Amino acid sequence: MIANTKEVKDKGFDIKRSAEEIRNLSFKDHVCIGCGICESTCPVEAIKVGNIGPIVRNEMDIPKLEIDEEKCVLCGMCSGICPVNALDFTIDNKSISDIDTYPKYIASAEIDDETCIHCQRCEVACPREAITIPRSLPERSKLVTGEIEVNEDTCIHCGICDEMCPTDAIDVNRIPGEESILINKDKCVYCLICKKSCPVNAIKAACRSCSYGEYDIDMSDAVTTGSSFIDDETCVKCGWCEEICPVDAAKVKKQFKGTLNIDQDKCTTCGTCIDVCPCDVLSFPESAGPATRVPNVGKEEQYCIHCGACERACPTDAIDVKITDVDYTPTKSKSWVDKFEALKNR
Amino acid sequence: MELNVNQDNCLGCGVCVVACPVNVSISPEVSGGHGSRTEEIIMMVENGVIKLFSKEKCEKCGTCQMFCPVDAIFLE
Amino acid sequence: MPKHIASGLKYLAAIELKKKGFNQQLIADELEIDRSTVSHYLNGRNLSWNSIDVAKTVTSMCPKDFLIMTQSLFKDTDKTRKIVSICKNNEFEAEVADSCIACGLCVDLCLMKAVSLNSLKAQIDSICCCGCLLCKEGCPTNSIKILEVKNDREYERG
Repeated sequence: MIANTKEVKDKGFDIKRSAEEIRNLSFKDHVCIGCGICESTCPVEAIKVGNIGPIVRNEMDIPKLEIDEEKCVLCGMCSGICPVNALDFTIDNKSISDIDTYPKYIASAEIDDETCIHCQRCEVACPREAITIPRSLPERSKLVTGEIEVNEDTCIHCGICDEMCPTDAIDVNRIPGEESILINKDKCVYCLICKKSCPVNAIKAACRSCSYGEYDIDMSDAVTTGSSFIDDETCVKCGWCEEICPVDAAKVKKQFKGTLNIDQDKCTTCGTCIDVCPCDVLSFPESAGPATRVPNVGKEEQYCIHCGACERACPTDAIDVKITDVDYTPTKSKSWVDKFEALKNR
Repeated sequence: MELNVNQDNCLGCGVCVVACPVNVSISPEVSGGHGSRTEEIIMMVENGVIKLFSKEKCEKCGTCQMFCPVDAIFLE
Repeated sequence: MPKHIASGLKYLAAIELKKKGFNQQLIADELEIDRSTVSHYLNGRNLSWNSIDVAKTVTSMCPKDFLIMTQSLFKDTDKTRKIVSICKNNEFEAEVADSCIACGLCVDLCLMKAVSLNSLKAQIDSICCCGCLLCKEGCPTNSIKILEVKNDREYERG
């Protein structure tokens, strides 16, 4: 009999079978959302998903799922069906997501760099911290124009302008015998506060932007440049970035369509679902004022990926998540198709 | 994973009794701070300390543990 | 003693190959033995008839026992595969049900290298299949059926 080997790394692990080909299943705990789809899909019942509520809430130091390496037959179904790629299955070091015969979800999240204005709204909103928008701002000095000059003979080096300057453009040395005043024209925005606050009228300054408008400013220097990066490993395609993007640069395609229903009568507001949801869909609603009633738990379903993690974690069976449509690439294998289709009857 | 109590640590504050969603479902009066009328619930404070009655009903959501100020109730 | 039985199996294989029209040199190459040994075999010399009887008993056991016994005699999968494919008494055809999940256990279990995966389904080459049922026994979804197709070969004492 060919035995599997298991190698545990922190809370993740690798299960491997080396024979005709090397089959390897890798579990990444930090990616797992605890939805339990792998557990119900595994044809040999080798997977046990833990209680995600206490694990995420009390930061318990145990893996979110366990796979019995003696039962596992390394078919890779759990990997193919995991909606967030927490399980990666490779054959001879090639991931099945790169092998055409294996079905995979049709899901994506993309940011169009041409359209993106690098506002970083998506980066802040992303519940999985999967987005980074590195950006470089235009130089301030290129966005203003003006003149500034200090009459060193008149200046008494009192330091008032230094303290008042909102952009830290003025540096006054007040030590007797070493007195000096320096103005950094790259920082100055010609706001004229120094000029107005100087007690001895030592500063002459004028803002040209006001009189000449943008006449001698090159607007191409005023552009914020940058790029975008979505970490495919942690992204769950929830749609926050698409929803929040002010210029429609982010596009998300989800693998599931479905419904999310909360039975407010059964809900006891324990908050487990809120803590478990990987997509920040659920929240306790703000009170709408005295003598008004709000639901126990509120939902923003447009961000829901219908993974069912909340339903699984809810201690009072108050949540019902249904998948109505699964989008995946075609495969000739009936058993694999059956498993993908079975998601609709979870 | 199982629900456990450490009665030596327990202050008898009863937060877990009220926070537990299963308790509240079985015996809604506990959410008002009253004692339960039935022993069907998971946990109750008795003589100043927490006591487990039907721990097999625990759904393992971790809410009690999150609210307990002294780690007297926990999943392990 | 095991060596004698192994030689007996080679003897039977040599006879089979001769029936198929192999010349002595080809038989020697195929079985990785000396040409002179082949010549002895084909002329009915060299071996104790007792070993050949035992070897015949081995080939007529159920396919799984034949295979495993041969493997334990030769301790070499390639040689085992050769002997079994030459001396097997029956031909088999396999049916793989749609419940196959493409776990590849059958591929790894098959000593005859008869199984491969095609479009996420096991495919069993009936020419190579020796009917040992190791794949069927190891299949986690019970998707394999092995059917015996004919039984028409008898060994003659050479």
